[in-house]
Amino acid sequence: MASTSISKAEKSYIQAGLLASPSRRTDGRGLSDFRPISLETGVAPLANGSARLSIGHNPHDGSSGTEVLAAAKLEVENSTDSGRIACSVSCSPSAYPNLSTGALDDFQHDLTTVLNQTLSDRSLHPSNLVILPGKKSWLLNLDIVVLADSGNIYDALFMAARAALWDTKVPRTRSVEYKAKKNESVSKSTVGGSGDMDMDQDTASGLDTRQIISNAIDFELPDYWDEGEVLDGRDRWPLCVTLNLVPPVHYLDALPLEEASTPVRLLLVFSFPSASSPTVQAMRMLGSGELSVAEIKTLVTEGEKYAKEMMTALTFKLKEEDVRWGQKAREKFARR
Amino acid sequence: MVEITIRKRPQTEAVITQRKFFKKTARGKVVKVLRERYLRDDVGCGIESCRECTSSDGELLPAAGDLTHQLFPNGHFILPDTNVFLSQMDLLESDLFRSPIILLQTVLEEVRHRSLPLYNRLKALTKSEDKRIWTFYNEYRSETAIIREEGETPNDRNDRGIRNATAWYNTHISLTHPPIRGQTQAALPTVVLMTEDAANRQKAEQAGISCTPVRKYVEGMKNATQLLDLLSASGSDNIEPTQAASGRQMLYPEYLPSATLIAGVKAGQLHQGHFNPNPYNYLEGSVSVSAFSKAILLVGRENMNRAVQGDVIVVEVFDEKEWKAPADEVIDAETTLKNDDAEDSGEEGDENGEEVMAEESRILRSEAQAAASERQPTGRVVGVIKRNWRAYVCHIDTTSLTSTLTTSLSTQTVFATPVSRLLPRIRLRTRQAPSLLNQKILVTIDRWDTTSRYPEGHFVRTLGQVESKEAEQESLLLEFEVPYRPFGKAILDCLPLEGDQWVVPPKGVGDLSNVWRDREDLRDLIVCSIDPPGCQDIDDALHARLLPNGNIEAGVHIADVSHFVLPDNPMDSEAAARGTTVYLVDNRIDMLPSLLGTNLCSLRPFVERLSFSSIWELTPDADIVNVRFTKSVIKSKAAFTYEEAQIRKDDPHLQDELTQSIRLLNSLAIKLKAKRMAAGALNLASPEVKIHLDSAESSEPIDVEQKELRETNSLVEEFMLLANVSVARKIEESFPQTAVLRRHLPPPKTNFEKLQDILRKTKGLTLDVSSSGALAASLDKCIDATEPAFNTLVRIMATRCMLSAEYFCSGSVARDTFGHYGLASDIYTHFTSPIRRYADVLVHRQLSAAIGFTSLHPSLHSKSHVEKILDVVNRRHRMAQMASRASVEFYVGLALKGRGEASRSRGDGEVREEAFVIRTFRNGVGVFVSKLGIEGLVTFKRDIQFDADNYTITVPGSASAAGSGGDVKISVFDKVVVQIEVEKDKNTQRGKVRMTLIEPVESRAL
Repeated sequence: MASTSISKAEKSYIQAGLLASPSRRTDGRGLSDFRPISLETGVAPLANGSARLSIGHNPHDGSSGTEVLAAAKLEVENSTDSGRIACSVSCSPSAYPNLSTGALDDFQHDLTTVLNQTLSDRSLHPSNLVILPGKKSWLLNLDIVVLADSGNIYDALFMAARAALWDTKVPRTRSVEYKAKKNESVSKSTVGGSGDMDMDQDTASGLDTRQIISNAIDFELPDYWDEGEVLDGRDRWPLCVTLNLVPPVHYLDALPLEEASTPVRLLLVFSFPSASSPTVQAMRMLGSGELSVAEIKTLVTEGEKYAKEMMTALTFKLKEEDVRWGQKAREKFARR
Repeated sequence: MVEITIRKRPQTEAVITQRKFFKKTARGKVVKVLRERYLRDDVGCGIESCRECTSSDGELLPAAGDLTHQLFPNGHFILPDTNVFLSQMDLLESDLFRSPIILLQTVLEEVRHRSLPLYNRLKALTKSEDKRIWTFYNEYRSETAIIREEGETPNDRNDRGIRNATAWYNTHISLTHPPIRGQTQAALPTVVLMTEDAANRQKAEQAGISCTPVRKYVEGMKNATQLLDLLSASGSDNIEPTQAASGRQMLYPEYLPSATLIAGVKAGQLHQGHFNPNPYNYLEGSVSVSAFSKAILLVGRENMNRAVQGDVIVVEVFDEKEWKAPADEVIDAETTLKNDDAEDSGEEGDENGEEVMAEESRILRSEAQAAASERQPTGRVVGVIKRNWRAYVCHIDTTSLTSTLTTSLSTQTVFATPVSRLLPRIRLRTRQAPSLLNQKILVTIDRWDTTSRYPEGHFVRTLGQVESKEAEQESLLLEFEVPYRPFGKAILDCLPLEGDQWVVPPKGVGDLSNVWRDREDLRDLIVCSIDPPGCQDIDDALHARLLPNGNIEAGVHIADVSHFVLPDNPMDSEAAARGTTVYLVDNRIDMLPSLLGTNLCSLRPFVERLSFSSIWELTPDADIVNVRFTKSVIKSKAAFTYEEAQIRKDDPHLQDELTQSIRLLNSLAIKLKAKRMAAGALNLASPEVKIHLDSAESSEPIDVEQKELRETNSLVEEFMLLANVSVARKIEESFPQTAVLRRHLPPPKTNFEKLQDILRKTKGLTLDVSSSGALAASLDKCIDATEPAFNTLVRIMATRCMLSAEYFCSGSVARDTFGHYGLASDIYTHFTSPIRRYADVLVHRQLSAAIGFTSLHPSLHSKSHVEKILDVVNRRHRMAQMASRASVEFYVGLALKGRGEASRSRGDGEVREEAFVIRTFRNGVGVFVSKLGIEGLVTFKRDIQFDADNYTITVPGSASAAGSGGDVKISVFDKVVVQIEVEKDKNTQRGKVRMTLIEPVESRAL
């Protein structure tokens, strides 16, 4: 992993600080405090949805923080399923100057796997990625670039992913098909009936087991100036909380040095389909330590609490961004 | 140190500065497109003496606007919206329409998006010198730029933009023209929004913007009467309040939306093709599509569903049991529809309309019964991909006029009958109807609604009196879309500066422009040209001489047009657009300026001319030993007509070099022809007649005769074919991807089925169409001992079954389809007439590059470019042929008329000619008068027996006027005598050849 080489003495110094009561972290934060997060959506005008997110970026003290850029791009695909989501994470080499090319590839692959497995899960699948059922659908490519890493990369990835997907608009399409009109009075001479079985074709009946196949083979864009409708189920996109465990305590939003001195980290990915019932979408342990089931249970409950807070803050910010792009921008234009 | 500031645009401004939209590509991908927009404050308003805007370029609009309009005494500018440009382009293009126009960028872009041809016309209009149009880039001026609101449709957004710009203009004018102290305030001009959209007008009025519909505006103009006729029909909706739209019955089914059509065509459920109406039957048309070997038949008005000749339409094919056979009856729209009233043919329900409907359905029923031998896929039109409407030459139908007083200025709805039989009548509203009688006029179709039986159009301009030479000639050129305007200055500037003083510079030191570089000096060769009499553009010359080794050297020298016409200059583009020279009976529409065509490039005798020579060494048996191509300078020793050359050759007293060289050429040509025939070349025939003109000035035709063919015609032809084939091989070898070649595809066997059937049943002859050689052989056997003309007739009919030859780019089609069927050659091109055919010019350039004389222009390396040019050339070529045929027909008509008058005055009665029956119908026969090269129709009013399977009709004995007893049976290929009269159609003034049968039975009484 993004191992920062660290001496034993340093490691034990940091661990001691975390275990002390009250805890002492290098930047003076409490155990469950986050660094400031800044977020902006709509940063890539050619993408269908995008966001730039940074954790702990502070120009005053020169700390760069963790910074990621996420962009969702839709692509028409001939496929029989109801659309796909494909995520990929790539890391800027400057974010990990200590890693070799091979190691960087491995690391990217790890990040991609976690993100892709979680987000492309059927339980989160948006319903409006279908263009023509059984024929054409959208492939949503979510590409995230890690521009700088100063700790807590997983949380940043998921937050940026959620923001970009929230911002994603799917172009409206209209299916185009040709239906032969059978009962038209084109040929008046043949109306007399030819003595076939008289089946009423128009009424829908439960007895009719024939599959109704749509003839639509193509689609059009009814309004090409329109960015489209928001991606369905955008409230469901999950968030990740990384609990860094230095038994018996855990803390959030680790710095690189802290990460290096933490034996076990637990990734908990929560989705909030409704405000009351969160679901755990993914869980993953990183590091060499061990955890018992009982411990995990309590950690999940704790994690859910943190996730909920983060979710509230993030959703608030995202809604604000929506307004900034829509109404406010127009008002600003009118005031000019 | 210089301070550099980077003015980066903050991301937050993106909503204003970026315009994003989606585009669906042809391959079905969706692409997001981003346009940056920079808003500025200095986009000029384009009005003269504006204090704020300084715009130096372009012509400005007058400060006071236009002061002549009744409604706006203070002066005004008009600002039309998109639909005005889309539907009223003819009005705006009129010379009488002189109001200053402000053209918004929003409008311009919308026009481009909706219709590219109209956009091009609009662009041309803005550039024309006598129009006052200012293009205002409103989307780039910060005050007038707008962004789309949530939930706003693109149309609404654009309309709002147009209103905004109009409002801005009005305030801008008042701000930049403040009153000067001490003077009374001069009245300010208004900017008037011109729109047909009532909702838009309402919104504009609420915002205090003055606006007007087009018609109301034109009514207030000085030249209202003439201009109102130019209004397209779509503008006239609101002035027919008396006719409740809901009361109108739908006569035609609605078209499907275009995206559905494309989807249907892609899925193979629908078929796309060009609509071909049946010239004999206005209720029938057909569409050739790739999915069926036979064309899809469209029977009846409803199924043809408003398709007009040439439209690209989409057809739905019925079930096979509903398929029909094409009609075998001649149905003339004029006789069936003569009682139709132009004023109310829009609405059905009136007695008249029902009558017509009843009549038409009767006709169709009788056809349905007749369906016998061969059924064809039958279908109906469900949509139109592309209308191919243009201006049509028409006559006004006299009977449709309600008032013929020339003083009457009331608007009338009248019918205009197009000259072409393939087009339906056009309904138009005009105030000048009485003055348009007996005139040829140009009419454009505007629309064809589901509720209207006829298309609606508007009057464009008049061409002149019916039957006046000028009007007939211009109408012919328009009808076949021949570009006939004189060459512009830019084109004439490409000619050599010396003009007709240009000569081949002396060889050596005096050759400043290096004309002689790599050119062979063939001035001493005994070269002569053989052409039709009166030929001015001599593009080929020949020579032949014996070589010491017993072989013969023969040369074909072609005018070196590519020396004068350089690639990619205005003259070249014009020639490419014209494609070919068009020969009419009394006129020639040149492809190249006449200085080149008839002088500098023409290989006149006794002057030095540049040429491109192809020189063979042939054995005495006319086998090619070798061939070489070279640029050269020749000096022709004589210019013969075919006749002169023939006489000279046959005169045994002449033994000079020139005569011997003609004899040598002739002997070779005979052998070449024999070889060609042995290889299976076809000897085809087309009805060619020659018009005798009295004198050049009056150009009254006196007589018509069939063209005579001499040995020398064939001599020239053989050597041209030889040159073309040799050149084709050379350029194909050098440029396998882009060589300009010509091919003639073998016709599909089904094309011959009917002719084979007719021949078998009527004459007991068989036609073997398995290959061109077999066809040639069996055509030779089609002889009727009693009737020598029969063979020619069969040849003409066989020719009609074939496809037409076409130019193509060698890289675009498979190698095995290069062949020329008619000539039985595996490869062919056109090299020998660069003065009158553009394809030859391209071939010259390629050949010249192939022999390393020049390098090939890059455009000739591009396959798509060559294809594009050849498409145009092919189309022009076809049109030119049709135009010259139509011109001959017109003169044949004139000659007939003259002959008829002469014979009547002698008391001999009408003109009678022998004719052959070529087609039989339920109610008549089609005949061909070979002596005049015209086809005609003889129709019977009384019932006759018709045997479709045996191609015969039987006129019952009792019915025959002569009463000579017995039934008279007439079958295809029978020789009959017809009486030919030229009569003017009473209603339309359209000249019409009327034929009546005299022998074997008199048809007048029938």
